[in-house]
Order: sequence, then C-alpha cells, then structure tokens
Amino acid sequence: MDRRKFIKNSILTATGAVAAPYILPSGRLFAQTGYQMAEHVVFVLFAGGVRQQEAVLRRYLADSQNEDIEGNIMYNMLEGAPPPDKIAYGRDDVQNNIIGAHPIDRLLEVPLENQGVLFPEVRFAKGGAGHFNGLSTGVSGNYYITQGLRNRPVSPTIFEYLRRFAGFDASDCWFVGHGIGGSRPLLNHSDHPSFGRRYGGNFIAPLTTFGAPGQAHFMDFKNYHPETEWGVIREMRNFLNNNFTQEGLEIPHLYNTPDEENNIKEFVRLMFEKVKSGQVTLPPVNDNNDLKTIGYAVEVMQYFKPKLTVVDLSDIDVCHSNYTAYLKNLHRADHGVGFLWREIQRIPGMQNNTIMIVMPEHGRDEAPNPIQDENDWFAYDHSAGNINTRRIFTLMVGPGIDANLKIGSEENPIGDASDITPTIANIFGIKERVEAEGLLDGNAMSLFDRI
Amino acid sequence: MNTPTSGKWAASLFLLLLFFSCKQEQDVYGINDLTILPVNSEKDKPKTSSQYISILHTNLFQRAISPNRMLEALRAIESIGDKQIAYDILVSKYMNDGDVVLPSEEEMREDVEEFIRETYKRFLVRSPTEAELTWMRNFINSRPNVTPELVYFAFATSNEHFHY
Repeated sequence: MDRRKFIKNSILTATGAVAAPYILPSGRLFAQTGYQMAEHVVFVLFAGGVRQQEAVLRRYLADSQNEDIEGNIMYNMLEGAPPPDKIAYGRDDVQNNIIGAHPIDRLLEVPLENQGVLFPEVRFAKGGAGHFNGLSTGVSGNYYITQGLRNRPVSPTIFEYLRRFAGFDASDCWFVGHGIGGSRPLLNHSDHPSFGRRYGGNFIAPLTTFGAPGQAHFMDFKNYHPETEWGVIREMRNFLNNNFTQEGLEIPHLYNTPDEENNIKEFVRLMFEKVKSGQVTLPPVNDNNDLKTIGYAVEVMQYFKPKLTVVDLSDIDVCHSNYTAYLKNLHRADHGVGFLWREIQRIPGMQNNTIMIVMPEHGRDEAPNPIQDENDWFAYDHSAGNINTRRIFTLMVGPGIDANLKIGSEENPIGDASDITPTIANIFGIKERVEAEGLLDGNAMSLFDRI
Repeated sequence: MNTPTSGKWAASLFLLLLFFSCKQEQDVYGINDLTILPVNSEKDKPKTSSQYISILHTNLFQRAISPNRMLEALRAIESIGDKQIAYDILVSKYMNDGDVVLPSEEEMREDVEEFIRETYKRFLVRSPTEAELTWMRNFINSRPNVTPELVYFAFATSNEHFHY
C-alpha cells in the first residue's frame, strides 16, 4: 500500500468510526442525549370523553341541565368545593333508594392541581372526536384524520420511541387497557416500517385476562419447570423456528426476552391467585370497570415497576345515554387517579421518582342529545365538528414539576392533545431524537417547552 | 489432354463433398437455474387467532372447540399483547386439562421415528426432512426428560404452526 492510499484509508476509517452510531449493549443505536427528569412515567388517558364544564370548569349541573348548581366533583385532582345540592355522583343510598347520594371520601389531602401543573384549556385539534383517534393521538403524538378502527397507528407510539431510542425493554413499557374493544389492543405499537412490533410495549386488558375469558382459558395453566421442561420446549421450538426462517413470519410477539416472558407468565399466575383469594389491589371504592382497571394497573406497577405505564379509562362514555351515570363515573375516575397517585408513592423505586400525566382523549358536545335518565337529565355525545369536543385539559405532577402552576385559560388555550408523546420523550431525555424523526403532528410540543 | 481438367473437377467435387459432408453432432449440456425452497416455504400466510385456536384445540383434544369457548378464547388471547406469551399460556392451560389426547411416553419411545413423523403431520401438515428427523430423533433419544407433552407444546407454539 502506498503512502497516499494509506492516508486515504486511514481518513475513511477514522471518519467511519466517528460517524457510525454506537450499538449499545441494549441493542439500540443511539444513547440518550438529554437529561432524564424521572425514572417512571404514568400516563392516564382519562375516562372516555369528558366535558370541560363538569371537569376543570367545575360547573356540575349548571352548564348541562339548566340547574343552577355548580361544584367540583373531582376533588382529588382539582381544587374547589363540591356541589352543595342535588348530589347524584357518589355511592347509592340503597336503604333510602337515592342514587349517588354519598360522595366518595377524598384520598389526597392536596389536590393534584396544587401539587403540579394544570393546563386547563388544551385543544384536541384535528380529526373527529372518536375514542380511537383520541387514544392513538395520546400515545403517538399524531392525529389520525382518516384512519378507522382495526388499524394500528401509522406513526410510532411513545413505546416504540422509548424502546428504540432509550433502550427500554419490552416489560419497561405497559399499556393497561380498560378492555379489548375499540381497537385498544392495537395501541401498543404502530405499523411504521422503521418501528413497529420490534419496539412495541406490552399490552394487557386485565378485566378480560383475569375475567371470565381468562379464567376459562388461562387460569391454572400448567407450571412447567423452567429448566427441565421449559428448557426442552424452547430448544425444540428454536429448532423448529430456525427451520422456518421466512422473514417476518412469526407468532406476533413483542421481543420480550425469555426472562421477561417468564416474568409476565408468573405475573399472570400471581394475579389469578390474587383473584381467587380476593387480594387484588383495588381503590377503596371499586364499583366500576375503570376503578378495577386502575387496581390492576397498580398491580402491574408493583410487579414490573415499568418505566412507562399508560392506563386508559372509559366508563365516562356512558354519557351517551345516562348523564347521572356519567357524573358518577367522572367522580370515580377522579377517585381512581387519586388512588393511583397515592399507591405510586407507596411503591419502592417509583415513590418520588414518577411523573404522572392525566389527559382526557377528547371532550364532549356542548348541547345534549334527547336521551334523559332517571333524574330527567339529558345525555351528551361527542360529535364530529362540535367545538366543545376539542376542549380538554392536561395535568402533570411529580418530581421537578412546578407546583400550583396554571398554564393557559379559556381565552388563551395552551397545549395540544399531541403533546404527551414529546413530553414523555422529554422526561426520558430523548426528545430531540423523537422530534428528529419528523413523525409528530405539527402542533406537538413538549409541555415543558410550553411552560 | 483432359487430365488436368478432370483433376480440377475431382478436387472441386472432393472439396464440395467435404464441405457438405456429415458432421458429428455435438451435444451441448447446460444447467438451468432452479430455486430450491425449504419444504415449508409455501406457508406464508399467518393464521387468524380463531384459525389457530380452532386447529390447536382439534389437535390437542381431537374434537372441535364450541363457538362459545372459541369466543372466550379469542377474547383471552386478545387481552395480552405478546401473542407468544398468550399462546404459551393457552397451551399450558390446555395441557392441564384431563381431556387432552396425548400419546404415552412408552408409545413415543417405542418408535421414536414414527412418533416424529406423526407429530410433524399433525401440527405442520407435512413430513419431516431427513435432517429434521435425525435432529429430533437424536434430541428425544438423548434426553430422558422429553415427553410427548413437551414435544407437542413446542410444535403447537412454533412459528410454522402459526402459518399456512
């Protein structure tokens, strides 16, 4: 090799060494570049379509049923006195046959609003106010104006960004779904060719897994010995799979490692034991599916201590046909969020090290539909094009989050439904990498940047 | 004298005959490109969950699953995101059912080769290749803790069984 060629090759090699991304032990290509604000994030997709009027505006019946009664029925999250009259959102007084007569005791001494930052007027800016659009915007930072149900999000979800850019394991990321309806099981990863299942988060719909379907087909599943039996199964299965090497043709798994797979199976087994013995962690009041889902989400957090947990609540959607039940479920969703925050502070490792974000997936109509309930109160839908469906709020609390701060107002809305993905990326120090992909909505911005 | 002329004619005739004379045909052999695919290469479509469960149930219980149980099983599977884990648990549950139909260990060890052929046919709807047969036979013969149940489990939760 002559001198000129040697120098040229040396320069090329050096350039390649500098430019080539590092392949880290976790398999990711890039190291986190930013400061990590907390080790855990819990994102609550709050409740199934909430009207601002009964939530942050604390108007109770005043803006919905022509009754001049205001008040705050979300007193774990928001500051303010409860309604003085016509109490119908609590627990039923069975003896006297009064629906919702007894409000649920507050769990948090200081409402979350006073512990963190409230964005009271956030906009769900694009597309129809449908649950799937709302939920997928929440987890992917992008709107889906034309996409229907039965499809995965087109843009990567926050799970995929975190697994690819922050090197999170599959079991670091959980979507705890209220159920399996509304394409919820498709929200744990997108179909994006550069991301997708390889970087998906784990999904569980606990009321189904541990309810009747799971009890019939999962409960008491055989406990194989991890080495003498599972070892044999895995060795044979690996042989069979290696002889079936067509690219991408595999059982759609999420690249949990064998240890993670075993862990998840043991969690499922443990939960069935708890179900049988009535020991599942549940909020003090747990008379709807949202509250039970939150209980199971706490179980997931206690067991896995995930870095990201997304919980989706949905019972408020009963507002399509029953306004009283809507109030009761809104009150319960607040109870559930208060319980969740209290339990997080009791989990070693997550305590004082978790940021919680709460955001409804969309709002509801301003005007009612004709359906009346037992109190003669009118129900509300969430219709395409109704401006009230675009009004939502976002609440953020945890270490490093300013306390008692309110950003924006009705006259000056600040925040967008697509903000949560860049916000979570910001918390974990990968915001620049996520933004550089160019797959977020144009409105999307980290809430910290909005502050 | 016409001898020289005759000689020229004869020479011309000889050359002409030589030119058109019979030639020995030469065979030219070539090789056509042929893509050799694995025996399972035509299985490129994933089964739906209902197809998978239906076939699995029939293979393990030798009878079809009822519509109600199918619906429940589908819901259970859908409630867990990682389908390998979901199917592993489902098969583990079925293996704990007293009605599951499995060959005995004695039957398996009595004729390992026949057991392997039958298992491939049952789950993968094909015969094993010689290489597969050899590997499986050696694996089973060298490990006393291999049971028909574990073999069935591995086949039932393999990627090939999930495709058709």
